[in-house]
Amino acid sequence: MSLITTRPGPGPARPYTFPAVRRLTAHGGTVIAAHLPGQILASSALLLDASAARETEGREGTATVLAKSLEEGTRKRDSAAYALALEGLGAELSASVDWDTFRVGVAAPVPVLTDAVRLAAEAARTPLLAAEDVIRVRDDEVTALRMDWAQPGPRADAALRSALFGAEGRYRRPLHGDPTSVAAVTVEDVLAFHESWMLRPGVLLVAGDLDALDLDALAEAAFAGTSGEPLEQAGPLGVPVPPARRTVLVDRPGSVQSTLRLGHRAPERATPDYVAMTLAATVLGGAFTSRLNHLIREVKGYTYGIRGSYAMTRRAGRFEVAAGVQTAVTAPAIRDTLGEISRTQLEGVTEEELEVARSWRAGQLSVEMQTPGAIAGALASLVVHGLPDDYYETLRREYLEATVEQVSEAAARHLTVDGLTLVVEGDGAVISEGLAEFGDVVDAEV
Amino acid sequence: MGPGRCKIGGVTSPTAPVATTGYPWPIETTRLANGLRVVVSEDRTAPVVCVNLWYDVGSRHEPPGQTGFAHLFEHLMFEGSEHVKKTEHMRLVQGNGGSLNATTNPDRTNYFETMPSEHLELALWLEADRMGGLVPALTQETLDNQREVVKNERRQRYENVPYGDAWLRLLPLLYPQGHPYHHATIGSMEDLNAAALETFQAFHQQYYAPNNCVLTVVGDTTGAEVFALAEKYFGSIAAVPDIPPAPDGTLPIPAGAASRETVTAAVPAPRIYLSHRTHPFGTPGYDAVTVLATVLGNGRGSRLYQRLADGARIAQPDYIGSYGVDLAHAPAPLIVTATVKDGVPLEKLEQGLSDVIRSLVDEPISSDELNRAKALLTTAWWRTVSTVGGRADTLGRYTTQFGDPAAAADRLPRWQAVTVEDVTEAARTLLAPESRVTLIYLPEENQSEDTQPEEAA
Repeated sequence: MSLITTRPGPGPARPYTFPAVRRLTAHGGTVIAAHLPGQILASSALLLDASAARETEGREGTATVLAKSLEEGTRKRDSAAYALALEGLGAELSASVDWDTFRVGVAAPVPVLTDAVRLAAEAARTPLLAAEDVIRVRDDEVTALRMDWAQPGPRADAALRSALFGAEGRYRRPLHGDPTSVAAVTVEDVLAFHESWMLRPGVLLVAGDLDALDLDALAEAAFAGTSGEPLEQAGPLGVPVPPARRTVLVDRPGSVQSTLRLGHRAPERATPDYVAMTLAATVLGGAFTSRLNHLIREVKGYTYGIRGSYAMTRRAGRFEVAAGVQTAVTAPAIRDTLGEISRTQLEGVTEEELEVARSWRAGQLSVEMQTPGAIAGALASLVVHGLPDDYYETLRREYLEATVEQVSEAAARHLTVDGLTLVVEGDGAVISEGLAEFGDVVDAEV
Repeated sequence: MGPGRCKIGGVTSPTAPVATTGYPWPIETTRLANGLRVVVSEDRTAPVVCVNLWYDVGSRHEPPGQTGFAHLFEHLMFEGSEHVKKTEHMRLVQGNGGSLNATTNPDRTNYFETMPSEHLELALWLEADRMGGLVPALTQETLDNQREVVKNERRQRYENVPYGDAWLRLLPLLYPQGHPYHHATIGSMEDLNAAALETFQAFHQQYYAPNNCVLTVVGDTTGAEVFALAEKYFGSIAAVPDIPPAPDGTLPIPAGAASRETVTAAVPAPRIYLSHRTHPFGTPGYDAVTVLATVLGNGRGSRLYQRLADGARIAQPDYIGSYGVDLAHAPAPLIVTATVKDGVPLEKLEQGLSDVIRSLVDEPISSDELNRAKALLTTAWWRTVSTVGGRADTLGRYTTQFGDPAAAADRLPRWQAVTVEDVTEAARTLLAPESRVTLIYLPEENQSEDTQPEEAA
């Protein structure tokens, strides 16, 4: 006997289905729920139109300070009592901010989900926001940001964002602000942000066993005491491309790696090219066998990992390659990376590569969407981007049917080597000379 | 108000449900003639299946001069085998919609892929081929390349990150020279540079044997289907007789003496790590430590958060906590960490941490604190087993380490059975300052100064 030499083919495929989605309008708001029979945990999130994009100039980070202040006590109970009440259910609050929404999430065993949502809503709608607490949370957030910014990455991210979105108001600054802007946030800013954006009903997402959950009770818990109509949505920001490539150095003396962030602008999430662009980026830098990971990690051994992807929000998008490479090979790694981006843009993808990308992206829809939390995240995308309830079945089909021509055309249209901004965070004394081959090097102002 | 409700922090809240089993899914097992243990747990909820292999070999098996070899070997397992070309493994898994990874720790090495269920047989074929046919495909070129990748991993995860080497520094303070947990799994650059091809060929032949492995499959399949496929693909691989065990990890607990190291490095704020050797994972003593760690340092309602971040306000709220590291073959560590707030003297925070740990003995925890911890552990447990991947890894662990996948069902009820007295007793016997490991990070005064480890006691 010996090993079986022939690779087995697939068995019969089970049809893909996204969990059944139920919508309910009640108590002034909308509930969107996905049915996960038998799941012991349930996940829920209140989605509010109170994103970082609504912050005022120079006070970037206001929404994040608010998010971190929600658990500092409510009008009903102090922070210690709140923590014990919520954690006594086995639940933890996650309040987060992105470019499109403010999200207050909570996961708990099914029998106590309504109680957990009621506590989450209590924090979101009626936080105490005592001045001394907000100031302390803000100061702690400044310290936490300094800690975070001491790691490689955040300064490079900020430099790239500033270069790509320099003319786009709020979008040119980091999502959570920077240590300076957060330090400038006042108690009044936080109170005003809460008053202006957090009191409309919003949307409640629920993922769990709906046979054991009362959606009307959940709606009542989430929307009690709220009022107001949904806000008007602003349009996309467009895709300006700079006239020439730029290189920005973020100095990190003594760094044993250089952190690369190479990027340019891209369309927003609603673009009809979404599927083709995603597949092109998967071939270039998404899968483990992608062109970039194969060459830079597997062949050259320059890095532990390199990724290229599009990130797309409601109003804007960007393409980015991210990696940490050994200091000594910084310039060769960038040269090879540009080569692969260029090759993908000019020559497109092959059927063999696309087959991997198609199957991977389609398969990931079932493989990566098993938990209530992941399903709640998928529901959030439906809400934010106005997608239909059967969207994920459609998306899967579009992935599987995409052709080499469509994907290559998207690569040609949505990749540009000449319009890239190259941000390199590393030991300037060692690497700046080598970076000259990519054009003039500018020092970052971060 | 009905049954199951209790007073928490002065307000009435329902309590999280109590579980009688942590594994309410079916489990089927078999053992092939070559010793491979096969565990199957059917769940038809989604069209996905996870294939998971636990090899009972980790960095605790590494002899001196070969640190990091078990982990470097894990990388080589993705680089092709007898019938799988280099790079083909990743392409076949991802190219059929799957997610995959592998991890190495002191105890063991695991490999896993979650696939759309029609590709179950492919996953088993790939795993069998690299169990039975890796050595013929192993080349010097592959070794050299993956050695560089691992060195990059070391730079990225441990060297280029503030406090990134804390675990590497804690281990030798917690475990004496020659102990299987003394060195870190990532290994030393020096040993990695010296790694020779023959060593890895021998490593595979010694440890990557069916009788040193547990194959677990969870999801959209049946026991009968998996057992037949396991026989088809793995049945021909020969057992390896007399696999040498790792060095004995038996150690007295608590440690006989305290030790201390102070590091000056490029860090943004002073940070303290306190650690103690406790019981091995899987013992009743460690269940008490798990609950203790949650009471002490998990969540905003924990003692550390309430007293040092919220109360005295001497610790940064985002960087305070405590946790156990679930190692099974020797006393497992409990780690407590906190970072000072601006302007607070380090000594004050160290004293504060010490006082809060001591308080677990002097002010026994309340039933509210205990219930809070159990509720959080309950949610964490259900989150872990909410995916087929989490379930497969759990069953693989309990089969490998305790000889029985069904033992997984007991962990949650055992956490829920821990009493106030158990936590007090664990704190009293295990967390005394006389057995404490203390690791302190101080920011560099000026950037030219190099890392200067002080000698430990």
